[in-house]
Amino acid sequence: MPGLIGFYTFGEGRENWDASHFIHYGLNALQGRGQESVSLATIGQGNTLHTLSGKGGVEEFFQKNRASIPKGFIGIGQTSSYLEDYLVHVKTPYEMVLALDGTTDLHENRGEATKLFARQLSQLLHSEKEPLKATSMLINKIGGGYSFAALTHKQELITGRNPLGVKPLETGSVGFDISAVASETCALDVMGIDQTGSVETGEVIMFSPEDIRGNTPATDAGNFCSYEYVYLARLDSQVNSLPVAKVRNSIGRELAKTHPVKADVVIGVPETALPIANGYSQESGMPQEPGFMRTGENIRAALEPTQKERLVGVQLKLNPIKSAVEGKDVVLVDDSVVRGNTLRNTVLNLKRSGAKQIHVRIGSPTLVSPCPYGVEIPPRDELISGSLSEKELANNVGADSISFMTAEELQHAIGLPRQNLCMRCFENGGAKR
Amino acid sequence: MRVMGVGGGAREHALAWKLSLSDHKPEIFWIAENRNPGIHKICRDYKGELRIGRTTDPKTIVRSARGWGIDIVVVGPEEPGFHAIPDALEKEGIQCIGASQELSIIERSKADLRRLQWENNLPGKLLFRTFKNAREASGYIRKNIDTQPWLQNIVIKPARQSGGKGVKLIEDQQIYLHDEKERFKEAYFDSLQASMAAYSDIEDKILVEEKAWGPEYSLQCFTDGKTVLGTPLVQDNKSAHDFDSGPETGGMGSISGPDMTLPFITREEYDKSLKIVEGIVEAVQKKTGKAYHGMVGGQMMLTENEGPTIIEMYSRLGDPEAINMLSMLKTDIVDIFQAIAERRLSRLKLEFTNEDAAVVKVVAPNGYPEKREKAKGHPVQVFETNIKRNGCYLFWGSADLQEDQQVVTGGSRLLALMAMDHTLPPASARIEKTVSSVQLTDGWGLYHRSDIGTDRLLAKRRDAAERVRRLYKYREEHGILGSRMGWVPNLGRIDTSQLLLKEMHGPEKA
Repeated sequence: MPGLIGFYTFGEGRENWDASHFIHYGLNALQGRGQESVSLATIGQGNTLHTLSGKGGVEEFFQKNRASIPKGFIGIGQTSSYLEDYLVHVKTPYEMVLALDGTTDLHENRGEATKLFARQLSQLLHSEKEPLKATSMLINKIGGGYSFAALTHKQELITGRNPLGVKPLETGSVGFDISAVASETCALDVMGIDQTGSVETGEVIMFSPEDIRGNTPATDAGNFCSYEYVYLARLDSQVNSLPVAKVRNSIGRELAKTHPVKADVVIGVPETALPIANGYSQESGMPQEPGFMRTGENIRAALEPTQKERLVGVQLKLNPIKSAVEGKDVVLVDDSVVRGNTLRNTVLNLKRSGAKQIHVRIGSPTLVSPCPYGVEIPPRDELISGSLSEKELANNVGADSISFMTAEELQHAIGLPRQNLCMRCFENGGAKR
Repeated sequence: MRVMGVGGGAREHALAWKLSLSDHKPEIFWIAENRNPGIHKICRDYKGELRIGRTTDPKTIVRSARGWGIDIVVVGPEEPGFHAIPDALEKEGIQCIGASQELSIIERSKADLRRLQWENNLPGKLLFRTFKNAREASGYIRKNIDTQPWLQNIVIKPARQSGGKGVKLIEDQQIYLHDEKERFKEAYFDSLQASMAAYSDIEDKILVEEKAWGPEYSLQCFTDGKTVLGTPLVQDNKSAHDFDSGPETGGMGSISGPDMTLPFITREEYDKSLKIVEGIVEAVQKKTGKAYHGMVGGQMMLTENEGPTIIEMYSRLGDPEAINMLSMLKTDIVDIFQAIAERRLSRLKLEFTNEDAAVVKVVAPNGYPEKREKAKGHPVQVFETNIKRNGCYLFWGSADLQEDQQVVTGGSRLLALMAMDHTLPPASARIEKTVSSVQLTDGWGLYHRSDIGTDRLLAKRRDAAERVRRLYKYREEHGILGSRMGWVPNLGRIDTSQLLLKEMHGPEKA
């Protein structure tokens, strides 16, 4: 899953801005969405697009390439959880680079589908007189679920969200000089740019040296990804104008109401589940205590690509704080369960640290299907909760009980109408592939 | 009676329209640099004439006024004031409603305005420094940024009005972006220095001000020098595009009403703002020894340090803010002008509608404001019956009526549409429904801001106002409103305002 940034400048002296500095820190804030591949494209005076791509994390990319970072006063950037997932550079007929979060339905393979989308966009920008209208038609025609930012050789930044609206995209601006879009609002904050609201579903915004123009967005509210609220988005972001921190707290409260259990202490699995545990504690009246300390960087275990790295990630991040659990019955709150190995390690570590009973409460329904829009949820046969009952699962991970929220409970906690939430990963048969 | 106006924008069209509604039935004459189609029609219908001429040339203006036998002249824009048009008319014995050259200093020199405030210890001011050149500006900031934290978040302006040079707002709050912000800032200092080099009459070229944060609003007033009468608050929107993004413009639209304040400004804040404007008028009269008779406006902001604060002053009405105010005005405008001319404004009571709110939206050709040459010369078509049917009013701005009767764009803000309703959102919606009645027939695009007057933007303003209000009220309750006290490691307590006064009156200036 990629995180996107688009950065645009106006006014006198715009040539003095260096987009790469802003994008650098903006992408840093989006690393929760992926840290396997980074790319950057910029344009300054003239018609030359400068691009650079590389593997690894954002900081590593910018440090390693310090001498060759593309410069210019407009730019786009992307950090991705996929290996070798870079900006697509189309040279003809209309030169542009494209960053895309999600998937288009133009091809079985996500990378190929993105390339095909880029080529169609380039073709349209070349042949159509009204690029905004043409792009708007394109995203209404091409299915899937995606948000994108494209930078053209004519110093245009074209950005949008397809009518399904499953992938987030937020706008911001500061002074009379800078406008930006980013997958999450936290990236705008880090770049020192004020939030100005979500790109609406089916909306295309086009920044050009002459003006900023937008089409009329889709009339439907869209089908927002519920997993953004549960796990993907950063706690300090707003997604579709809902603060993620507030939603996670209300998930915890809902979980305490619908899946109560008597225990001595509530422990959240860092980092994502901490605010959920906090909500559980507030609602149940049981105290929440910090149960783990992390060593090393925040590695997002669920999205780590290899089994080995995943285990290392878990070991490094979760050192139990013995005094918090010793001799106590524990409610262990996590956001979701993918393969079960993180949970198994965590429960085992807590029991070795002296916890008596461990009751696992999960702030989302069982994950049963891969995501059709490119979030790395593994194939069905790797999803533990799709294969085992709650009782079997509890035994498997060594917990005294385990229970998951239902889709209805999650929807209630998020507070959006059911038809405006994508829950395909939580529903059997929801995913096409 | 005969009235002559000066200036060819939407503000002047609104003035002409208001004159045409007067019970005094004045004959209406005008001088503008473009053949504004709206003013042209009003002059023709009211036994007058629109003449094309240089509005900053005293000779042209005086000759025309004398030739037409004008009783009262009203000056719309700021430039004629800067060029002593009111002074020249008065020397000829012709009454003029408009700030004279010396008084218009409050708008012409942003540095002098700040000095006036600090010298007289008036409320609603911002910290500032002026510099002779770019090196001095960047040197001062580099040296003092740690001991004077306000230098982190600054507004950079030309110290006096200068060939379209805009303001830059720089917030330097992220240490990792500090070098980037510094580079941009210093490059702009260089560019200001270059463009200000032509003005050898003033020492200060660059003005740096404390960047305040809060909702902005304009308070426009009529004054005869003794009395300052306030009108309903108006909020203009300076960014070119929706949700306050995009480059700085002259103003893309404005809201006012349904009473004297705005939905996010309190009556108490209105009264304080009026006091602040009165203070400026008094101070500038004292300084120059001249009587102010005309219009004056405070571009205000609620700020956390001061509450109501002056961002800039107008020595005239705002454009487009004038359209809001004049639309809400119930008093005969000729009565107001006569009262100003005869210095008896204190006996006049201004009346405004208290039932309706007004929304104004500016329509501009693509290319404005950054590529005006591209925005110029496109043929315009307007469906007037449609506009009337939707209860909207059209005020022509940067437009030119050619000899073949075709109107073409002038490259700046083409026109303004105004609608009134009980509250702002339905008025805004009415303009949205109407805006397609204005088109360019050669396929070139027009744009406007759809968000002005909508619930969503109002909520944003209200939210900003409430946050700032909490901060300045706290300062008020703790007796530190307007104070700039701080503590700096190694230096201890510092008072930045004392520091500023010391530097203003320091030995080098004396």
